[in-house]
Amino acid sequence: MIDTVTKNYLDGEFVSYQVTYVNSNRVKSVPLDEANSDYQAIQEWIQEGNTVIDNGGNN
Amino acid sequence: MSELKVDKVSPRTGTYVSLNTVGSKNIIINGDMSIAQRGTSTASVTSSGYYACDRWRTGFDTAGTWTISQDTDVPSAQGFQKSTKIDCTTANGSLSAGSLFYIQQIFEGQNLQYLKKGTSSAESLTVSFWVKSVKTGTYICELKDDNNRTISKSYTIDSASTWEKKTITFAGDTTGTIDNDNTAGLEISWWLVAGTTFTSGTLQTSWDSLTNANRAVGQVNLADNTANNFWITGAQLEAGTTASDFEFLPYDVNLDRCLRYYELVGSGLGIFFANGHYYTNTYIRTSYKYRKIMRTAPSLDIASGTSYYRITRNGGTDYFDDLTLSSSADKSGLLINTTDVSGTAGQTGDLRTNTNGYIAFDAEL
Repeated sequence: MIDTVTKNYLDGEFVSYQVTYVNSNRVKSVPLDEANSDYQAIQEWIQEGNTVIDNGGNN
Repeated sequence: MSELKVDKVSPRTGTYVSLNTVGSKNIIINGDMSIAQRGTSTASVTSSGYYACDRWRTGFDTAGTWTISQDTDVPSAQGFQKSTKIDCTTANGSLSAGSLFYIQQIFEGQNLQYLKKGTSSAESLTVSFWVKSVKTGTYICELKDDNNRTISKSYTIDSASTWEKKTITFAGDTTGTIDNDNTAGLEISWWLVAGTTFTSGTLQTSWDSLTNANRAVGQVNLADNTANNFWITGAQLEAGTTASDFEFLPYDVNLDRCLRYYELVGSGLGIFFANGHYYTNTYIRTSYKYRKIMRTAPSLDIASGTSYYRITRNGGTDYFDDLTLSSSADKSGLLINTTDVSGTAGQTGDLRTNTNGYIAFDAEL
């Protein structure tokens, strides 16, 4: 179950999502690829009203 | 030049399969459960996902708690060495309407065009599998395509805790299409738990648009007792109306088929996975070329924790917590760490997992 989703930036460009999961130390970096099932899960998670953390690349 | 003389040419007799007979008649990948890159057991399963044996996905909602594992309990003298075991650890005897639990495989549409779905020549599909369950009774096996058309068939576990071979044939679907691409085209599911949302109608035994109430009518509740265990192996889905012998593949061939969807790069102490360099004093980069072309650009699947990874450079070792993906395609990816590394720009080194480190790429459907 997704806990948090954060945008990853490289040189100011949004390049992937970082996903953490409830009760897990596993993390996924998810490419911006519509055929990727983790990407699809993130879009569903957003549609359910959840919010992606976006710090604009200021990690 | 040699000469071949024959007295008579006769039609071929006996069992044969006309489609995909060489090395790939089984649409199911890892049907013998021999590959388990993610690990051999996952406890406390309460959500959908991929656990234990490669390519086998769990669909789940409010159906108790389970341990899913690769097991050595197999049918006797059939050649199988591994099975998937599904073990109820917390029961749910009062299901919610929407409770569900099934194990399934999902297939790329581009691999299924020979089924000629949506034509008058649509191929039937036959699934055969070995199954063992503590709980006897009616179970449901379902096909669902990417246009939400479904067909379900029931089968019966006759004897408790006894391996039984089941064969089910589904008619070809003369309606609709399967997209000819790398996305999900068809899935096969073995239901284990179904709430009334999925059982309140009439079992849909011919292809039609999805009606939830008709999907799993009659399905027993495998979640009603912690004594309930369920095993499956030898799963084969093939074109036609006859179940042929299970297609055993060499381990490396089976693994290669799985790697298109999931690649475990390494886990645990000291596993080398790539060379990298310090792009700046606090920023390392490394590229990784996947062992097989993956289904699509994969996610980086990684364990994150204090000093889970290390880069050895310039006579010393720099420990760090994780990596992130900065670009990914189906053949390679670029991984970086910009948060907790320290070195000198231009230095190179080898990257390894440390204790508790885990790195994999995931392109599952």
